[in-house]
This record gives sequence, C-alpha cells and structure tokens, in this order.
Amino acid sequence: MAATASRLQELQATRRRRERLTTLKNSINWLYLLPFVIFFVLWQAYPLFRVAYLSFTDYWYIRGDPPVFIGLENFANALVDPVVHDGLLRATIFTVMFLPGCILLPLAVAAMVDRVTQGRLATFYRIILLIPAMIPGPMVFVMWRTIYNYQIGPINEILVNILGWYSFGNAPQWLGGGTLTLPAMVVMENWWGLGYHTMFFLAGMATIPRDLYDAAKVDGANEWNTFWRVTVPRLRPMLLVMTVLRFGTAMAVIDEYLILGGLVRNTSTYTWTVYMWHLAFQLGDWAQGYAAAIGWIGAAAMLVIVAFLFWLFRNRD
Amino acid sequence: MENALVEERPKKVLGRRRKFRSTRFLLHAIIILFIIVVLCPLLYTIKLSLQDIPSAYQGYLLPTHWTLDHYPYVLTELPTATRNLVNSIWVTIATVILVSAVSVIAGYALVHLPTPGKGLVLAFLVGTLFFPTRLLSLIGIYQVQKLLGLQNETYGLIFPYVSIGLALSVLIMRSVFEQISVEITEAAYVDGANSWYTLWHIMFPLVKNGLVVIIMVNFVVVWGEYLISMTLIDDMEKRTFPVVLTQVSVGQAQWSWPRLSAMYIVAILPGIVGFIISQRWYMKGLTEGAIKM
Repeated sequence: MAATASRLQELQATRRRRERLTTLKNSINWLYLLPFVIFFVLWQAYPLFRVAYLSFTDYWYIRGDPPVFIGLENFANALVDPVVHDGLLRATIFTVMFLPGCILLPLAVAAMVDRVTQGRLATFYRIILLIPAMIPGPMVFVMWRTIYNYQIGPINEILVNILGWYSFGNAPQWLGGGTLTLPAMVVMENWWGLGYHTMFFLAGMATIPRDLYDAAKVDGANEWNTFWRVTVPRLRPMLLVMTVLRFGTAMAVIDEYLILGGLVRNTSTYTWTVYMWHLAFQLGDWAQGYAAAIGWIGAAAMLVIVAFLFWLFRNRD
Repeated sequence: MENALVEERPKKVLGRRRKFRSTRFLLHAIIILFIIVVLCPLLYTIKLSLQDIPSAYQGYLLPTHWTLDHYPYVLTELPTATRNLVNSIWVTIATVILVSAVSVIAGYALVHLPTPGKGLVLAFLVGTLFFPTRLLSLIGIYQVQKLLGLQNETYGLIFPYVSIGLALSVLIMRSVFEQISVEITEAAYVDGANSWYTLWHIMFPLVKNGLVVIIMVNFVVVWGEYLISMTLIDDMEKRTFPVVLTQVSVGQAQWSWPRLSAMYIVAILPGIVGFIISQRWYMKGLTEGAIKM
C-alpha cells in the first residue's frame, strides 16, 4: 500500500519534471516573439511607464533638471484646471456627434451593398467605397481643409457664387475652431471611415446564414423588418465592439484638431489632447510632468466610459 | 372560368417583377449616390490640380484653362518638398518591411507554436487597442529617441512607426494563422521540418492575403503619419512629407492652391493605385480572418 503510494508520487514527480522541461524547451519559441517584444517594450511599454512616472514629478524638459517627485500635485492641479475641463468637454462633444454617423451610415450602406447580387458590380462598389480608407488621415484632413476653405473652397463657392445665399462678407467660417469646426470635422471623419466600417459590417453580414432570410421571407417579413429582426441582432456583438473602439479613438484624436483647428485656447478644437501636446512640446519650458498628468486623466476618463459602455451593452441573456 | 385564371396569373407575376425591379433600381441609385459623395472631394482636388492659377482664385468651379504644368513644377522646383517626399518613401518602405516580418513571425509563434505565456502577450495586444497609446506615449518616445540619438534623424522615425502599427498587425496575423489547420504543422514536423522551415516554406504561402492587408494598413498609417514626425524632427529637410503638406503657408506664390493640390495628388496616388492593383488579395485577406479584428 505504502509502496504503491510512493510509486505514484514518484510518477507524478517525473511527470511534473517532464512538464517543466517541456515548458523550458518551448521557451525557445520566444525567439519568434523577440523582435516584437523589443519594439513593444522600447517604443510602447517603456514610454508609457516613463509618462506614468513623470506625471508624479515636477519636470520641465527644456530646463534640463532631473524630475522631482511631487506626488499627486500635478493631478490635483489638472483636476481644477478649467482648460482641462473644457478640453474633455470638447472631445466629448466631438465624439457624441461623430459616433452615430460612424456606426449607422456604414450599417445602412452595408445592408444595401449586401443586397447587390451581381458579383462584379458588388466588387466595384466595395472598391470605390474603400478608396478613402487608403488615404492617410492627415492627408484626408489637408484635402478637407481645402474644401472647407473660406475663400476658395468649393462649399463656400457654391453657397456664395451659385446659390447666392451668402456673400464673401458673411459666408460660414468652417475652420479655425469656430462653432462650425467640430460639425465640419464630423462630416469629414464620416466620409473617411464610411467604406472601412462598411467592410466590417459586410463581413459580419456574410456570416449570417441565408436560411434565416429565407425563413423570414416565408413568414412574410418585409426587408425593413428582416433588417431589424434578423441582421441587427446577429451583428450585435460587432456593433458593440465597434462602438466602444470608435468611442476610444474619437476621444483621443489630435491630428485633425491640429490641422483644422489650431493652437488657440478658447476655440472648440482645443481639446485635452491638444492641450497636452501643446504643454509638452511647445509652450514655455515644456511642462512634461504636468502634460503627462493631463494625458493620464484623459485616458482614465476615456477608459471609465469604455468600461461603462461594456457594462451597458453586456449580454443580458 | 379557366380562361380567367390563366389570364390572371401572368399579371400577378408581372406586377411582382415590376415592384422587384423598382426596389432594385432604388437600391443601386442610393448606393451610387453614396459613391458620388465618396468620389466628389477627390475629383474636386484632381480638378484643382489641373486648373491654371488665376482661374482657381477667381471663384470658378470649372477651370477656364486646363493645365498639366503644376505636376512637373512641384516635383522639380520645390527642393525641400522633393527631399521630404523621398524621406517619406524610404521611411515607409523600411517600416512596412520590418512590421510585416515582425508580425508574421510573432503571429506564427502565437498560434502554431507552444509558447509559454502567450495569453499574456495577447492581453497586452488587445489592451493597447483600447488605449490611446500613440498619444500618451509620445512624451516618453521623445525621450527614448533622445537617449538613443535618434531624435531629429529621419531614420529614427522607423522605430516608433513600427511600434504604432505593430499590435494591430500581430493581431491580424494571428487570426489569419488561426485559419490554417494544426494538421499542416504536424505533418510538416513528421516530415522532419523545423519550425523556422515550416513557417517560411509551408505557412507563408498560405498567409499571403493577410500579409497584403498588413502591408496596406501599415502603409496608410506610416505614409501619412504626422504627429510623431512633427514632434521628433526639427529640421525642414529631414521632415517627412505629410508634415510639410500640412505646414506650408498656403496661398503664397510657390504653394498656390493648384500646386498644393498637384503635390497632394502625387502623395495620395500610390496608395490608391496600390490598393486597386492588390484589391483581390486584400479583400480575400479581410475575409480570411483579418476582419475579425
């Protein structure tokens, strides 16, 4: 009896030793991940930790002094800084205006392109719709900066010269951080993202079994009902992930604000992201400690809402 | 009675077909409307680049004189712009090659090799998608670059550029590799192939479509990258093209609107042409699992 027990223990020990050996031997596979790890650690993880550390210090890049630990002072200052408040509010306004169009328009277009039965035509539609996605963001913004231009842009040209609704004295000012800049940016962003998001929804629709549509048709459902009762529920997980992902990216955009807005504090495009960048690389002695704190506050606010959205859309079944 | 029945039937079918046709027509009409909206800004920019300078400033939507002069002008007469374009070209090529290689081998190891701790790697990758990494890490990246002597060097941009697209690329490659059955790897091992040989000779041909997606995604990100380049590079001739494109004071003689548009078309055309040529593989790559990301 005792002999069997000890034999069993011995067997287990060997197995454990062998397993540990396999794990050790498999660690060699990390060589495949090594290049990834180098890039990830040096240019993503370490910089993030560095920024986290700096946010607790008094640090001005230009002064060249080493960072001095000051605890939560930067965060305390940032939380009562009206520019931070306005910045977060402006980013939220942009995001709230941007999100519905970014989800609903591509969903509608995808539902229509999905109905196209001629293969070649469907491919053609997809290619054209995807063309904007092949233009890098900043270049899209430069193009729309021309289109929204006060004097030479085609929009104002149509409003003034062709429709005659305005004169060049009172034509709408689309750029520069006025009240129209954020809506103008929303239109631009939706133009840019339309095809890309449509592709996502089309891929999602392709996974829905055709029988479901046939069954709905037999039951006498029209296209509209089929879309809401069959397509949308099936795409629900995808819609959720897209909404949350796009919420996150929209809260943290900066390039479009810099290109279409500018660096004036009391304008609608001066968001927390612009403020952070402005403080860290342009203003005075580059207050990077304070800027880091603002960055973390913005990111934290964003993550809280992302978590809230996941909770809101959680699967209740 | 019978005659009446016979007569009624075709009518009904005809009615249904007519209704069917009109919804079809409406469907295509709406899609084409969207396509026109997508194309309009691009066509406008092309038109502006072919318009002579005086008519562009006189508020004519259609030019009175067409001209091709702006294209040779911007490519030869603006020395730093050409230099910046060349900078962008080689930085983009180097980054895309590096990021493709890194993400192919990483994706392979994450799916087909027993790598301890790959769940942790995966968690980090997905985490970065939900986090504004590019923006927040910028202050830290500036200091890393300064430390390594890469700040204000054009080639120094390659390293942060590889890292911005890396998480998404590895995740895309991972889901593409997941489409390949494990049996293929096992068969290769039985035949005596090692993991490195299996990757390049057996797996690689099967993930080519996914690779096209990665190349396009990273090309678009890097070719137009603006924030990092503007922050890290101080000298005009070391800058990349998007920074110059956004910062030229438009409206002045050298950079009049039609010339800016010509430069702009030069900048966006490679991506669009490349996409149209590779769209067959790109679309396949998307459906092969890349879209799951």
